[in-house]
Amino acid sequence: MKRHTRHVTADLAVIGTGIAGCAASIFARDLGLTVAQIGHSGAMAYTTGYIDLLGVLDGRVLDDPWSGLDALRSTDACHPLARMTNHDIRTAFDRFVRLLGEMGLGYTAPGDRNVSALLPYGTTKPTLSLPDTMLPGSDALHRRAPALIIDFEGLQGFSATEFCTNMASVWPGLRPARLVFPGLEARPVFPEVMARTLETPVAQEQLADLIQPLLNGAETIGLPAILGLQAPDRVRARLEQLTGATLFEIPTIPPGVPGIRLREAFERELPRRGVLLEPQNKVSEAILRSTGVDLTVQGALDDLRIEASAAVLASGRFLSGGLKSDRYRVKETVLNLPVRQPETRDGWFSAEYLDPAGYPVNKAGIEIDAAFRPLGPDGVPASDRLFAAGVVLAHQDWVRQRCGAGLAIATAYGAVQAAAGSINAR
Amino acid sequence: MLKKSAETATIDFLATARALLPEGASYDACVGCGLCASGCPASGMFGMDPRRFINMAMLGMNEELSTTPWVWACTQCKRCAYICPMGIDVSLLVGASRSNWAKEDKPKGIVRSCAAQMLDESTSAIGLRSEDFVEIVEETADELRQNDPRFAEIEVRIDKPGAKFIINQNSREPAVEPEEMAPIWKIFDYVGADWTYASKGWAAENFCMFSGDDEAWRDMVKTRVDAINDLGAEIWVNTECGHSFYTLWKGIDRFGLEANFEPASMVSLYAQWIREGKLPVNSDWNVDNLKFTVQDPCQLVRKSLGDTAADDLRFVVETLVGKDNFVDMQPCRSANYCCGGGGGFLQAGMSKERRAYGKRKFDQIVTTKADYVLTPCHNCHSQIDDIGAHYGGAYHVTHLWTLICISLGILGPDERKYLGPELAAIGLPDPQ
Amino acid sequence: MTSLRETDVLIIGAGATGAGVMRDLALRGISSILIDRSDLNAGASGGNHGLLHSGGRYVSADTRTAAECHREADILKRIAPHCIDDCGGMFVAVEWDDETFARRFPDHCRDAGLPCKELSTDAARTREPALPGTVIAAYAVPDATIDPFALVLGHVDHAIHLGDSAYLPHTAVDVFEIANGVIEMAMCRDLRTGAETRIRARQVINAGGASTMDIAQRAGCSDVKLLYSKGTLLVSNTRISKGVINRLRVPGDGDILAPGGTVSLLGTSSVTVPRIEDNRPTVAEIDHILAEGTQMLPVLETTRFIRAFSGVRPLLAAPDAGGNARRASRRFLLFDHEDQGLKNFVTIAGGKLTTFRLMAEKTADLVAARLGNTAASTTSTTPLPQGDAIRWTEPGLAARDWYRRADPSDMIMCECEMVAQSAVDDITADAPGAESHMSLKAIAQRSRIGKGACQGAFCAMRVTSHLYDTGVYDSRGGLELMRAFLAERYRGVRPVLWGAQLPQAELAEILHCGLAGLDLMGSSTTGEPE
Repeated sequence: MKRHTRHVTADLAVIGTGIAGCAASIFARDLGLTVAQIGHSGAMAYTTGYIDLLGVLDGRVLDDPWSGLDALRSTDACHPLARMTNHDIRTAFDRFVRLLGEMGLGYTAPGDRNVSALLPYGTTKPTLSLPDTMLPGSDALHRRAPALIIDFEGLQGFSATEFCTNMASVWPGLRPARLVFPGLEARPVFPEVMARTLETPVAQEQLADLIQPLLNGAETIGLPAILGLQAPDRVRARLEQLTGATLFEIPTIPPGVPGIRLREAFERELPRRGVLLEPQNKVSEAILRSTGVDLTVQGALDDLRIEASAAVLASGRFLSGGLKSDRYRVKETVLNLPVRQPETRDGWFSAEYLDPAGYPVNKAGIEIDAAFRPLGPDGVPASDRLFAAGVVLAHQDWVRQRCGAGLAIATAYGAVQAAAGSINAR
Repeated sequence: MLKKSAETATIDFLATARALLPEGASYDACVGCGLCASGCPASGMFGMDPRRFINMAMLGMNEELSTTPWVWACTQCKRCAYICPMGIDVSLLVGASRSNWAKEDKPKGIVRSCAAQMLDESTSAIGLRSEDFVEIVEETADELRQNDPRFAEIEVRIDKPGAKFIINQNSREPAVEPEEMAPIWKIFDYVGADWTYASKGWAAENFCMFSGDDEAWRDMVKTRVDAINDLGAEIWVNTECGHSFYTLWKGIDRFGLEANFEPASMVSLYAQWIREGKLPVNSDWNVDNLKFTVQDPCQLVRKSLGDTAADDLRFVVETLVGKDNFVDMQPCRSANYCCGGGGGFLQAGMSKERRAYGKRKFDQIVTTKADYVLTPCHNCHSQIDDIGAHYGGAYHVTHLWTLICISLGILGPDERKYLGPELAAIGLPDPQ
Repeated sequence: MTSLRETDVLIIGAGATGAGVMRDLALRGISSILIDRSDLNAGASGGNHGLLHSGGRYVSADTRTAAECHREADILKRIAPHCIDDCGGMFVAVEWDDETFARRFPDHCRDAGLPCKELSTDAARTREPALPGTVIAAYAVPDATIDPFALVLGHVDHAIHLGDSAYLPHTAVDVFEIANGVIEMAMCRDLRTGAETRIRARQVINAGGASTMDIAQRAGCSDVKLLYSKGTLLVSNTRISKGVINRLRVPGDGDILAPGGTVSLLGTSSVTVPRIEDNRPTVAEIDHILAEGTQMLPVLETTRFIRAFSGVRPLLAAPDAGGNARRASRRFLLFDHEDQGLKNFVTIAGGKLTTFRLMAEKTADLVAARLGNTAASTTSTTPLPQGDAIRWTEPGLAARDWYRRADPSDMIMCECEMVAQSAVDDITADAPGAESHMSLKAIAQRSRIGKGACQGAFCAMRVTSHLYDTGVYDSRGGLELMRAFLAERYRGVRPVLWGAQLPQAELAEILHCGLAGLDLMGSSTTGEPE
């Protein structure tokens, strides 16, 4: 049996299907470029759903991410976010958040200040934008509004009692309650399953009926993030209508709904916007040419060959497979680009758990120039047609700095602008 | 309840995983996140889910894994591998476990279906013999020629050497509803395609893969490949069906068979012919703006052609029903949930589990508010029909060929079994 | 708040020896209080291969220790079979090793009375497929492995059930009140709550392992002299060999791969250290052990390791060993301290896990005699009972138990090791130490929680939530305990972070910082809501 190769040409190839890759595809389509995007799964599924920009700098929680970025530019000029102007970052961020809204996932417009977003363990996270389904929780915390927090039998790692207990000192008036999710009695339950079920009117009514008797005057209700997957705002509105209370979601331990929502929204939306999306496989071979980048993808039954005028590498870190290591070195997996990293393995991780400085390996990654072009072994750009974005970049610690989403969005914007420039300069 | 007798051997699942799975995607790579389990409709059945399967292998619980009936509730749809950041594929070891069950312990329905396929070179799971198939096709074609003057000259060939296309046919049609074969003939006739059936290996099902009988799977595929090679067809077209497509190309690949043809999906051909203008279909007939959704067959999309097939499918459906009348299920395309009709589940006699599995699909469908579910796969068709009836769904389940023929104005009166009352008479000559 | 407790015997140190003495005494009708500044097996008893030595490792240098190991191992196999995996073992020499030395092994075994069977290279590789073709000599010996946690939990639990004895975790002696050559009172402190407990005991036993020297000095005794030898081991994600595989050469580093139920343990290194405080494993040690170990088992090069740990062997400082711990004696010594002017204080030091029972017997003999109790030790024949709350350390047991019970409402809290909620609840209610408020760490010590591939990344969060639900935790302190538990796991995880462990570590960061905000806890500006 002959193994076929499909040949495709595109202005831009995007390697990676995380937030950076998806943002890059959208930004490129906005510029009228044809786009082929390749990747497979990855860390996007583990997000809380919060779209942060810069929440922590040098171990301090930032109230104002924008002045934080200013500070970053003077203290850590290699940080990928420091390579862009606040104006460009804001443009990218605004565009991305609006896009999510167009895809059915309403997000708050980014403002000038970070918001304290709720975490399931009764702690908070500084973020710039959050899903509309989660906003009322932050508001309620801000107002110290009494609220009923509901958890579910069989949903592990989310305890309303834990949330209320750990919040008690700053947010009194929280009350925990536990429900059995209709149809999922006496068994382990996944948020994804509850969310999927809650998209049906029947389940919405059943859940509202269970919540009603618990209200006891409560006007605000916190739930784990289970309010549907494709149209959470509609599900929330419907449940609010049925219960007469304000509802908000709190993210949960993976596998949680917010990440699956984002992933599915992009898988649904990108093809609609004309992106050739190959979400099943990673790039098996990438070749840099002077006029672009050739990529090969091995499918189950046939192969795909993409000839692109430029490429954005947004392949993520270890979880997404963009970086991998053996016992000695960290490597970049797609093009074997040099990875900036500590000298030896002993330097990868700090001696102490959660060292406030962050583990040195967190800042390992590929180096870029001002035009987001990855540097080759000789310190000059590996290609004029190759650009990089997202957490594969060196000099950032996205988890600790609470800047993962913002970094992905902003650098995707920067990389696509640069890539478009290189294509147009042909 | 299924139970495996103790005597059968246990498998070393960890060693098998290391041997079968690519490096970096073996069980050792699992980070324990549970995305696979969350996204698997078989999770929770028999206390199992994909992550648990991996962890039990890691813990050396080979006896439990060798005996758990869960391997018959997992449809081997490979959604776990799709969703896993490490790409770990649990279905391969489910297949290994199925193989290891003694024949008498396996679900009787699957074993019987495979045995029926081994009876005759027809390879039909219903046990329809080659000569019967030939006879039924000829009779049905004759009736068509007589009943509809527009098709008085239609050619329905069997064993025509050198035809460009060779089509296989799910046994359900010739055995149960032969009139449902006619729409495909009409479509091929309409585009002027040079096609034929083969009298040997014509059937579009392969339960031997699902029963875990590799030897029978190989034999089955070999019979078909030989028949196709012998006739010298250029393209083997799988009818609107998922698993027979996968089992054929995968079988060729796995057993190293010589195949001198290309496999193609019926769906991709429809798309190609519409694009080329050979099938001038549109949605004009859908005057009531009936809403349609579509089930992406796992075997065709995720397991074989990827999102290219999903794109083709959407292109065909949107052209047929109108862009605004098409509603995707979520998730869909490569991320779609298996409906629960695959993997031999429909034949396994485990209807309680199968319907529980299908509940997620049912919720997805209900959420679309679609009037019709289009299923380019026979097993999906049966399962989605069944869960609709079981859970009280108001939708109909239909093949693509039916809509194509409606749009072309060539759907006969007896080819409307799966249409609702609102379409029962559409495009038929006025009874007056 | 101060409380006073009285008992026949105070035992300091809840390792294998302390627990062994506690049970031995209880079987003779003598009550005791067992205290530990940390918890069960916090020292060398928990930081080892879990080897039940056949004695093969010592045949060439110390026939007496070898014979003792062999005898004691046989006893333990009879009285505590549920703690033992009688997996057998093998001594293997490979190309690089001294064949002459290897060929003398059967003679040495015969001298020590140890059964030993020569295996052809093929036979050895059939038995252990992980062995390479470079094997030049192989001998089968009756090695086994033992679960030191099950063993110690079983001993303490049995002693408590036999009568008046008690176990107090996180309790340490501040001061001994001594008068007329007698320790009249031990002023102890609960290190978790800060509360003071005064314990009046007729006899005091120092079984403090690596701390024995310090404890003896507190009682004014300067006769205990130890050599500290740090040993580091690696834990693999899955079980690599059926039985114990020992390198057949002069004992060195990275010589032994021992199964630990569902995993394998590779070790050790041996470095003489001046102090016992910082015994975390290092990257250099790991690389060294692997460099040695892969010569015998090349498969280790691609094995996923999930954790490392170090133990400090408290060895008796023998004059002839110099600083070389490998040559120091594996024997034990009982100090009656009478020449130090104390009549009711004994110290038991040195020895090995395999010989802990004998050490306990000798200690109990002395103390019982001092108390006028003439009953003989029965620990060599009395089977060790099992119990619902103390069986969860056995690898794979929780998983098989859950699977067999098939109760879908009994949630799995730790997916890697499949530890169910019911097991956690059993432990919280009934395991030794339960009366003093079980934390996540204490539960983990009594089960397989946190032992799997994710090293507690997920289950720490699930179990913590459950402990809030069940009222065990009632303040933000529960979250701090979770952080402390993870910090401790990290010490062992850090040196094996490469390959498949890096995605795992990245996910842990996402969970613990991104989702739980643990990195911001405690710093003033932070993590706390606005």
